[in-house]
Amino acid sequence: MSKIELLAPAKDLAKAKIAIRYGADAVYIGGKRFSLRSRASNFDYEDIKELCDFASLYNAKVYVTVNMIFHDEDFDGIIEYLKKLESFNVTGVIISTISLIPLIKKVAPKLEAHMSTQLSTVNSLAVRQLKEFGADRVVLGRECSIQEIEMISRNVNVPLEVFIHGGMCSNYSGRCVLSNRMTLRDANRGGCAHSCRWKYHLYENDTEISNPECLLSMSSKDLRASAYVEKMIKANVASLKIEGRMKSEYYIAQVVRTYRKMIDEIYEKGHLDDERIKYYDEELDKAENRPSDDGFLSGDCDNTKHLFGVNGAGVTHDYVAYVHKYDSNRNIAYIEVKNIFNNEDTLEAFGPDLDNTLFKAKIMFDEDWNLVSLANKPTQRLYLRVPFEMKEGCMIRKVSKK
Amino acid sequence: MELLITLRKYDLYDSIKNLTDGIIVGKYFTSGYHLSLEEITDLSIKCKNDNLKFYVALDDLISEKDRSLLINYFDFISKLRVDGVYFHDLSVIEVAKRYGLFDKLIYDGKTILTNSLETSFYLNTGLDSVVISRELTLQEVTGILKNNPNRVDMQIFGHIRMSYSKRHFLRNYFKQIDREVSLDNSEVLSITEENRDYHMPITDDESGTKIYSDFIFETYKEFPVLKQYLRRGIIDTIFLEDGQIISALVDFKRITFENRDFMEQSLLNKRENLYSTGYLYMKTNKTKDE
Repeated sequence: MSKIELLAPAKDLAKAKIAIRYGADAVYIGGKRFSLRSRASNFDYEDIKELCDFASLYNAKVYVTVNMIFHDEDFDGIIEYLKKLESFNVTGVIISTISLIPLIKKVAPKLEAHMSTQLSTVNSLAVRQLKEFGADRVVLGRECSIQEIEMISRNVNVPLEVFIHGGMCSNYSGRCVLSNRMTLRDANRGGCAHSCRWKYHLYENDTEISNPECLLSMSSKDLRASAYVEKMIKANVASLKIEGRMKSEYYIAQVVRTYRKMIDEIYEKGHLDDERIKYYDEELDKAENRPSDDGFLSGDCDNTKHLFGVNGAGVTHDYVAYVHKYDSNRNIAYIEVKNIFNNEDTLEAFGPDLDNTLFKAKIMFDEDWNLVSLANKPTQRLYLRVPFEMKEGCMIRKVSKK
Repeated sequence: MELLITLRKYDLYDSIKNLTDGIIVGKYFTSGYHLSLEEITDLSIKCKNDNLKFYVALDDLISEKDRSLLINYFDFISKLRVDGVYFHDLSVIEVAKRYGLFDKLIYDGKTILTNSLETSFYLNTGLDSVVISRELTLQEVTGILKNNPNRVDMQIFGHIRMSYSKRHFLRNYFKQIDREVSLDNSEVLSITEENRDYHMPITDDESGTKIYSDFIFETYKEFPVLKQYLRRGIIDTIFLEDGQIISALVDFKRITFENRDFMEQSLLNKRENLYSTGYLYMKTNKTKDE
């Protein structure tokens, strides 16, 4: 049995490389066209090719989202695009328009056709139908419970992909066009205005029955499936997917690394006890920016799984610096400042090969080797004394007092 | 072309039977149909006697745990004289094949059947027909219809479903604000975004939450052209009063058979004062920066 795939999102080339360096088996990205997250799609042909070449060094895969719900006017250039992706050695495309399957098989047969969560596939009969249509993989809808995922997996012979982390549509994906009505932006063509996160008055006939202090919101908490990863592995799920193509490099690194370590530990030990899951949850807390829960994995979503008047928070650690180089003779890291910190702060470094390691920011210099006590300019480059070995790509966060 | 309505109340049948070519009914995996299995059986017999077409709708997505319910429902459907089965979840295809009903299937793409290629794809599988999405412009609609003449259905009147969630937004909200409100007759509920004034009807039942357009979509002016290519035109009656339903049927019958001019003042008045052309003349492809 092959090891389960950890699949990470990436908005751009830099983040995709970080995801792979931090342990993703595969990344999914969006090109300039045809993708549902238009604002999160920054990959031109050159970038996609470079990413594929980079990924091959790590034996990682690249999937490209072609998951907008096409209108007739949107198809122009699709054949050339699919051929290009195949020539770059992209492994597969994630699609929502089923009729693209025969096109893919015809013009770019090496590309796998993965059926997007936009299709909201939530039962094994539908999965089997998609397989009959030619699908190589099916991403399940986020409305499935863990028992249903196990049942579906037992009843199909096509690889399944399941979301384990990140933001969720509060509606069945692909079945919400509120954005179209309220902003003329097509939710199914990359224009979603996240109307579900807005606040609404509720009326019974002409009488308002909502509470003005707490208006109706459809906003859902983010998904966190850390407690279910072991069951998903045992259910023979093919791929565990992290959501968040708009997320920061720090978020990608921290979340990917945490699930990487968790998956590896499950394969090594066969089981994770509650204490270890709690440890990994605390690691995920360091990257979170919205309250999270297990969504439909545990069954129904009651009111505790909605966000009523909550605006995030919950992050216990600030990402403060990215490491570009490390001089082991002088124990000096050359860093790029991301957030404010000073020379009295306690910091924590981590990286693809570096476990969480605490240290004090005591000594730092600017690029002219003047001592500085405060790092407060984003993108500023500094030299920071770090008493242990680091590599390019490591990150540093500030440990806040909770 | 057939003119169909969704019949959501049993008692309405006698009022509409001479105005429509057929009815669409539903129970499991559909929302807003207040019909029992006995009433559905009875309506299928009435339709046969009145020489009307009889269709069953399954509008919802079907979870893995409800597979047995789906099979039980097909057990029931297969014993009726059914002219077609509207469905949205792809699981229905395999079950319909088991019951010999595959060639009666009509795929209702709801929000995701938006182009000619996809339409042809489904039709080429051997399905009877498809229902195209409601968020299309007239140009897009006619393009799809002309590419697949007399094979495609379309909603031509009524509120448009705009979102569908498995989450129970209303039930959960009432629990959150500690308020008891019956959802048994939730057709009277609507929501309005705090900075806008659209009153969008909302339902919350066992299938989850659905939100519909604030406007009533109509196609009076366009119908003379559409009917040349359409297989079926559907009047969705959800949230409509009986008088509105009958009035719409009469209007479409007159346009269809009497070739009444759509410019007739009474229809123009309805367009201007009561109804909306939805997205027929309004593209929804703006970006965040526009």
